[in-house]
Amino acid sequence: MTLKKRLGTTGYYVVSTVIAVVSMFPFLWMISTSLKSQGAIMSIPIQWIPQEPSGDAYVEVFTKFNFLRTVGNSLFISVSYTVITLLSSAMAAFAFAKVGFCGNDLLLKLYLATMMIPTQVTMIPLFVIMNKLSLINNFGSVILPSIFKPFAVFMLVQQMRAIPEDYLDAARIDGAGIFQVFRKIALPMCLPTLSTLAVTTFMESWNDYLWPLLMLTQREKMTLPIALSTLQGTYNPQYNVLMAGSLVSMVPIIIIYIMAQRNFKNGMMAGGIKG
Amino acid sequence: MPQKANRRGGPKKDGLLTAAPFLLPSLLGLLVFSLLPLLVSALISFTDWNGLDQLLAPGFLQEHFIGLENYKNILSGAELWKVLGNTGAYIIMYIPLMLAASLLEAYLLSSTRRGVSAFRVVYYLPVLTSWVAASLIWTSVLSPQYGAMNNLLALFGIQGPGWLLDEKWAMAAIVLVSVWKDAGFFGLILLSGMVGINKSYYEAASLDGAGTWKKFWRITVPLMSPAIFYVLIVALINAFQLFPQVMIMTDGGPNSATQVMVERIYRYGFRYFRMGYAAAFSWILFVIIMACTAIQMKAQKRWVNYDA
Amino acid sequence: MKKHLSAILASALALVLLMSACGPAASDPTKSPDNPDPKPSQQQDTPPADQPVTITYSNYNASGGNEETLQKMYEAFHEEYPNITVEIETIAYNDYFTQLQTRVSGGTAPDCYELNIENFAAYANKGALAEITGVDFSGLDETSLNAFNVDGKQYGLPGKFSNVVLFYNKDLFDQAKIDYPTADWTQDDLQKAAEAIRALGDDIYGYYQPLTYNEFYKVVAQFGGSLLNADKTEFTINAPENVAAAQMMADRILVSNVQPNEVQMGGIGDWDLFMSGRLGMMPTGIWAFNTFAEGCKFDWDITVEPGKEQKATHFFSDACVINNASDKKEAAATWITWLTSSDKAAAIRIEAGWDLPAIKDQSTLSAYLDITPPANRQAVFDSLNYLVVPPVIEDYSLMSDIIGQKLSAAAAGTLTVQEALDQAQSECQAQISLK
Repeated sequence: MTLKKRLGTTGYYVVSTVIAVVSMFPFLWMISTSLKSQGAIMSIPIQWIPQEPSGDAYVEVFTKFNFLRTVGNSLFISVSYTVITLLSSAMAAFAFAKVGFCGNDLLLKLYLATMMIPTQVTMIPLFVIMNKLSLINNFGSVILPSIFKPFAVFMLVQQMRAIPEDYLDAARIDGAGIFQVFRKIALPMCLPTLSTLAVTTFMESWNDYLWPLLMLTQREKMTLPIALSTLQGTYNPQYNVLMAGSLVSMVPIIIIYIMAQRNFKNGMMAGGIKG
Repeated sequence: MPQKANRRGGPKKDGLLTAAPFLLPSLLGLLVFSLLPLLVSALISFTDWNGLDQLLAPGFLQEHFIGLENYKNILSGAELWKVLGNTGAYIIMYIPLMLAASLLEAYLLSSTRRGVSAFRVVYYLPVLTSWVAASLIWTSVLSPQYGAMNNLLALFGIQGPGWLLDEKWAMAAIVLVSVWKDAGFFGLILLSGMVGINKSYYEAASLDGAGTWKKFWRITVPLMSPAIFYVLIVALINAFQLFPQVMIMTDGGPNSATQVMVERIYRYGFRYFRMGYAAAFSWILFVIIMACTAIQMKAQKRWVNYDA
Repeated sequence: MKKHLSAILASALALVLLMSACGPAASDPTKSPDNPDPKPSQQQDTPPADQPVTITYSNYNASGGNEETLQKMYEAFHEEYPNITVEIETIAYNDYFTQLQTRVSGGTAPDCYELNIENFAAYANKGALAEITGVDFSGLDETSLNAFNVDGKQYGLPGKFSNVVLFYNKDLFDQAKIDYPTADWTQDDLQKAAEAIRALGDDIYGYYQPLTYNEFYKVVAQFGGSLLNADKTEFTINAPENVAAAQMMADRILVSNVQPNEVQMGGIGDWDLFMSGRLGMMPTGIWAFNTFAEGCKFDWDITVEPGKEQKATHFFSDACVINNASDKKEAAATWITWLTSSDKAAAIRIEAGWDLPAIKDQSTLSAYLDITPPANRQAVFDSLNYLVVPPVIEDYSLMSDIIGQKLSAAAAGTLTVQEALDQAQSECQAQISLK
C-alpha cells in the first residue's frame, strides 16, 4: 500500500467515524434516558450512563396496553401500505417513463404538484370522504391512500428513465409482452430504488400518527404510535417511557432496513453489469 | 409532447391504451385522495368556516361564503411576509447544508472498504427515529446550560449560544437538527444514484491521472445529477412544509422567530377555529411552492444529465 | 392527441363531481345526522331507558397513568346502569383537540367527551354542544358549574377541578433564616423572601412565575385589573393596573433576577428546577403533589398564593360535554353526571390522587386532606375562596397566544412592558371581534 493510499484510508475512517458518532450520539442518549428513573433524568451533573439502570420504562411500554395486538395492527397496516405503494407507484412510473402517452409530462407535473399541498388542509375533506366511504375505524382508511404516492412515483420515474431502451427492446424481440417487460426488466432494474422506497414507506406508515389517530378511534384498532402516546400524561412528560417506547418501535424498522441493505448491494452489482 | 415521450423510449405504437392498466390504481388514488380533497379545500378557502360546523352540510356555502376576503386579509397583513422570511431563512441554511452532508454520506457509503455496511446502518439511525423522540433529545442536547452541545463547545473555549431559546439562533438550531435527521435519507437516495455510475468512466479518468476530488466533481456529480435533482425538488418541498420539529422544539418561538407556514396553517385551522383562513393560507403556500418547483424544473435542463 | 388528454381530464372532473354530489346526500344510518342546526336535547331521540345502549366517551385526562382509574369508575357505573355501555377512548392531550375537531366537523364525534376551558367556549358558541337537561347535577360546585354555563344554559359539567397554590422549599427558607410564607403574604413579602433566597448562591433562585398568559391574567386580578371590560365588549389589556402587574413580573427576571431568565433556566422545566432544590418558591398546580412527593429530597409545603390589592388564585377545570349531533343524549347525560358528581366516582378519584372532584360535599373531600405531603393541604381548599376564572371568549386561544407572545418579548427585554401590552391590545382589537 502506498503512503498516499494509506492516508486516504485513514482519512476515510476518520471522517466516517466522526459522522457515525454524530448520528449515533442522540440515539445513545435515548437508550441511556430510557434506562433511567424519572428522577435521574434531570439530575445535575448529567448522568451519561445511568447510575442505577432500571427497566421500569420498558415494563410500562409492554404492559400498559395490549402490546401484541397493537404491534399486529401496526405491522398489518405498514406491510400492506408498503406493498401497495411499491406496486402502484412502480406501475405508474413504468407508464410514465417507459410507455409514454399523450399528456405524459403534464400528468407527471400534476403528480408533482400534489406533493406541494400541506396535508393539514386536505385532512378534514379527506376525513369526510373516508366517512362517506364508511371506512372510519377500518384499516382500509389508513392503507388505501397508499395507492397514490407521488414521491415514490417521481423517484421511480427518475430511476426508470435511466434504464436503456436496448434492454426493453431486447426483451420485446424475445416475444415478451408489456407486462413481462415490466416484471422481468423494469422492476428488477429498479431494485435499489425499490428497496430504498420500501424502507422509507414502511417507516412513514409505521411512524404515522395523526392520520391513524383520526381514522382509528377504537381501542382494539390502535396502532403503536397512538398507544405509546397514551402513556404520556397531560402535565409532566415521562421521558424515560417516551424513549423506551420510541426505541421499541424502532426495532422493526431497523430489521427491515438491514434486510433491504442486501438489495442495495445487488443493485450495485446490477449497476456494474450495465456497462 | 408525444414525440418527447417516444424519444426517451417506448415503442411507437404504445400510448394511452397500453399505459392505462399501469396508471389506473395510481390515477384513482390521485382523484379520490388528492384532487377531491384539494378541490374541497379550495372551496373552504373562500369561506369563513370555523372547522366545527359540519363540512358541506346543506346550506354550507350560503352560510359561510365570503369570497376573496381571506386572501385579501392574508396578503395585506404583515404576518405572511414575516413567516415567509422565517421559512426563507430556514431554506437558505438547510438546503446547502443538507446537500453537502448527504453528498458526503453517499460518497463515504459508496466505498468498498470494510465496515461500510455498519456505517450504512448508523447513518440511517436518525432517519429511523421519530420526530417526537428526536425533537425531545435535541431539546435537551441544545439546552444552553445543561446540554451536551454547549458543554462540548466549552471544552474548546467557545461560549455556546442559547440555541432554541435565543431568537437569533433558534432557526439555525432547527436547521441543524433537520440536517441531522434528513441527511441519511437523502444520502441514501444519492447513493443509489452514485452506485449506478458506470465504473469504466472512473477507470478512464484514472488513466488520465485525475485525482479523487477531480473525479468526484467531473464524473460523479454530473452523472448522478438526476438523483441530485430529485433530492433538491423533494427537499425544497419538504422545507416549505417544515412543521413537526418546530411544533415540538420551539412552538413558533422565541418571539415568533420560528413561526413558519405550516405551523401557522395548523394554528389557524385547529387552534383558532379559522379553517377558511387556514385553507387560504395553504393555497398561498401551494402557489409559492409550485412557482419555486417550476423554476427548478426549468433550470434542470441546464445541468441535469439523463444520459448516464 | 390533445383529445385523449381532455378525455382524461373530463372523466377526472366527472368523477370529482360525482363524488362531491353523492357526498353529503348519502347518509349512513349509523352516523349522526347532517343537520348542523343546534337541536335541544330531546327525549324522543333516545331509546327508552330500559333498552341497552352503547355510547362513546372520549377523554384525554386519563392518559398517562389514570386509564385504569377511569376504567374502575366505569365498572362501578355499569353495575348501577347495566343497560348503558360506555366505550371509553383515551387519547393523549397533544393531538386530542385536532382529532376531536376533525370528528365534530366530519359528523362522527363521540356521544360525549371532555373539553378544556380554552376550547369550551368555541365549541359551545358554534353549536357543537347540547344543553345538558333532565339530570340532577346539583351536587356539583357552583363556581365550577358557572364556568361552563353560557347564557344561562349548562353545556358542560366540571369533570374535575384543580387550582394553584404556592409551593415552597422549607430547607432553603431555613438556610436563609427567614420565616415560611403564610396565607397573609403579599407580593411584597414574597419579593423580600425571594431576594434573601437568591442571595444564597449563584444558581439558587427565589421564585419562579413565568410571564405567560396564564400567570398574567391571575396577577392582573391580584392588582385589581382585568383583560376585558365588565361586559366583555372591549379589551383592556394595557390598562395601568395590568401594566403594573406585568412590570412587577418582568422586574423579577430582568432587575432583581430573583427569577431565572430563559437562558438561566437552560431549557429545563420549572418543576425540575424546584425538585433539584435550587428554587425557593413557585406557584403551580396541585397536580404536582404526587410528582413532588416522589421527586423532592427536601422538605416542602404549600400555602395560599400571595396577593396584591386582593388575592386571586387559579382555577382549572375540564368540562364533560354532550355532542349536539348525538342520538343518545340521555344515556350520555346519565354517564357524565354520574362520572362528575356521584360519590363513588369521587371516592375512586380521590383514592387515586387524580385531581379533585368538583363536588360540594366536604365529607367526601376530607379523605383528601389526610394524605401528606404537603402538610398544609388545607391551603388547597382555602385557595378556593379567591378563584378567578379565565376570561372566556370565543377566540380564547388566539387572544392568549397574542398576549403570551408579547409578554415573552417583555420577559426577554426586547420590548418594554408598556410596549408589549400596547401591541397586544392593538393586535387583539384588530384580529378579534368581541360580541
